[in-house]
Parts: sequence; C-alpha cells; structure tokens
Amino acid sequence: MDFSEEIRSKAKELLESGTVDCVIGYERATDGVGARPLFVYQPNDIDRLIFDQTCTHNLTKYLLNRKDKATAIVVKPCDSRAINLLINESQIQRDKVSIIGVVCPGVVKAGLDNTSGELQDTCRMCQQHTPVLYDFLVGELGLEPDVPDTYPDVTGMEDKSAGERRAFWEEQFSRCIRCYACRQVCPGCYCLECFVERLDPTWVGIRIAPGENEVWNTMRAFHLAGRCIDCNECERVCPVNIPLSLLNRKLGKEVEELFKFQAGIDAETPMPFSTFDKEEKLGISE
Amino acid sequence: MAVEYQPKIVGFLCNWCSYAGADLAGTSRICYPSNIRIIRVPCSGRVDPLLIVKSFQQGADGVLIAGCHPGDCHYSEGNYYARRRLALLHTFLEYIGIEEERFQIQWVSASEGKRWANVVSSFTEGLSILGPRETTLHKETV
Repeated sequence: MDFSEEIRSKAKELLESGTVDCVIGYERATDGVGARPLFVYQPNDIDRLIFDQTCTHNLTKYLLNRKDKATAIVVKPCDSRAINLLINESQIQRDKVSIIGVVCPGVVKAGLDNTSGELQDTCRMCQQHTPVLYDFLVGELGLEPDVPDTYPDVTGMEDKSAGERRAFWEEQFSRCIRCYACRQVCPGCYCLECFVERLDPTWVGIRIAPGENEVWNTMRAFHLAGRCIDCNECERVCPVNIPLSLLNRKLGKEVEELFKFQAGIDAETPMPFSTFDKEEKLGISE
Repeated sequence: MAVEYQPKIVGFLCNWCSYAGADLAGTSRICYPSNIRIIRVPCSGRVDPLLIVKSFQQGADGVLIAGCHPGDCHYSEGNYYARRRLALLHTFLEYIGIEEERFQIQWVSASEGKRWANVVSSFTEGLSILGPRETTLHKETV
C-alpha cells in the first residue's frame, strides 16, 4: 500500500489553487524506517510527502494550532473521527479544513527497534477502514472488516479478579515517569491548563510516586471517556509501554453500552456527558 | 492487642438533600457508624471524578456520593449529569482494581434521616467484611 502519488497530486492542487496555505502530511523520518509529520507550505516540498503503513501519527492534533487558517490534512479513519470530535466540541471549523482521507488497513509498529511490519494492536481490532469524514478519498472503497470481537483485550482484563487487576495496574502505573507524552500527542487533550499542572490545589503531586501516577493515569483516561477515538497514539508514544489503550478502550466500550455513543462518528450527536435522559436506568440506587 | 479494623469512608453530600438528611438523622438521635467523614458539596453534580480518585489515593477505604433523588435536584438537573458520570466511573474504578463495593452512589432526600443511617451502616458493614484495600499505594502517604 503506497498512496504517496495520489496524496502529492491532491496536495499540489490544493496549494497551487490557494485553497489552503498548508498541507499537513507525512514524510520519511531520518531513521529511514518510520514516518514523521511534514508541513508543506511551498509546492516544491510536495514531493517529500509519503503515505504507507508506517504513517502512524494522528496529525489532527496540529489542527488546534491552525484554528483560523485554511489547512489540508492527511487522515486515516481513526484520525478522521478526531476531526469530528474537535468540530463537535467547537475547537475547529469544518470549512477551514480540507480533509484528504486515506483508506487504511492498519499501521505497523515502525521504528529502528521494530521493522517486523507487525500491525499495531488496536489496528488488528479496528472496525473502520474508511474515514468517516473526508473531502477527497485516497485508496479504493472496500468492504469494512468483519471483526467479530471488538474488545477482546478489554474483556480479557474484565475476566480477572479485582485483586489481579489491582496488582496489574499498580505495576503498570509505577513505571510511569509522567512525561505527559500521552497528553501531548492526544487530539482530545487540548485544555489550556491541565488539572495535573494546577498548583492550588495540587491535585497531583509533583513527585513521581505510584499513588500520584495512578491519579494522573486514571484521570487522563477518564477525561477521554466518550471522547477517545482509539488512534492508539498515547500508547505508541509511551516511553515505558503502559497499555493506555486498554484503559481508553474500556471506557469506550462502557460508553457504547451505557449511552449508545461512539466518539467522532459524526459531529452533531451531543457528547454523552453534556446530555442526559431523565428516564435512563444506570444501576444507581434503584 | 490487635485493634479492630475500622474502614475510613469519605462521603460527598449534596447540600440540599443528603446533607439535610444526615442532619435530620442527627437531630432525630439516630445512631450510625462514625466511620464516614462528610464533605458538603453544593450538588452531586459538583463531584468531580478527580475528588473520588484522589480520595482513594489518599487512603480512603470507601467513597460514598449522596445527592437528591432524580427529579428533585435543587439545580433541576445536576444529579442527572452526575448519574451518567458516576455510573461510568464506578465500572472504571472496578476495572482498575478498586472493588465495586468500595464505591456507592445513593439518593437520599432531606426527609430520609432513617434511610441515611441505614445507607451508612450497611456501607460500613460491607467494607468491614471486605477488609483493608490490598494496595501498596497509600503506605507512601503518611
């Protein structure tokens, strides 16, 4: 799968016609294996654009820095859901973004330490190979994958006892160095001041201790409940390999079951926590 | 001599219903366990999940949220929002290994002093049976 040529011609058209003044896409990274984000402002840089299965980044995060500027962006299906999320939450305007959607069979774990071409874990469970939102589509419209079990990882964790889960997560969180890479990379984490950096009161102590780490990781995931679009970026960038998607996907699964809602499928359905149904039964004090 | 285990409970009570309900339990001279530490909040909708996660980190054995019955919220709809948020938090806390018995959400009105006493008694009893949390976390917070 190599869509580089199609993306280049589309980028050229958009830049030369003046529709946008920047195209956000991917180029080959200096390690020669992975990909990295590329901002194209000049037509003579267009040939640097690439797209293949090493293009893991969710570029929609960069749209938040270009809110009022006409921008074209290359998105995979999961990334396209992030655009819906950001429009729904009034963070970006639809008419400022030209979306080059790419049909995606999943991206690989790419880097010098892993050139196996193995798919990322969440990609193997992905249900959406065509972007939910695009202006131009690159790649063939095919059948959507038929994955019978969407959350095998989550149900596997649910089957364990509370004690086992406690031990598992304490071990995971104890490794966290609180670099906040998971937050920086996430298109849903755009608060100007994150709760973790508030000093009065100090919700999360600055020392790197298991308890503080747990508050951070729990609340980071919970703030993305019903908002996570499952792009797996947080887990990919985590330097100590905490399975963050396992937290996010649990919340995604529950929100789907409780509120029949999936983040970023469209930009109009009210977000689950900004609405309610008076008659709903959620198993509380009933 | 071994001291009998006493669970520590943090209670977030809405000012308008549950806090008044707890007050009624007191003025009616109803006895209930003193394991609960009550924090008064304007509305159950004020209870940020962060407050609950933080309580557990700081060593709480259980957290109880009490608010007006659905339909009776002083601010019309605060408890409807709370209900959604806390229902999800409940399953999430269980997922990260905090037993579901340790977290309760109850609707207690200002006239339900007796019910308030029952809620706290049964919650405390449940936690006593469950025992202390099996965690290494709050050993560090002295």
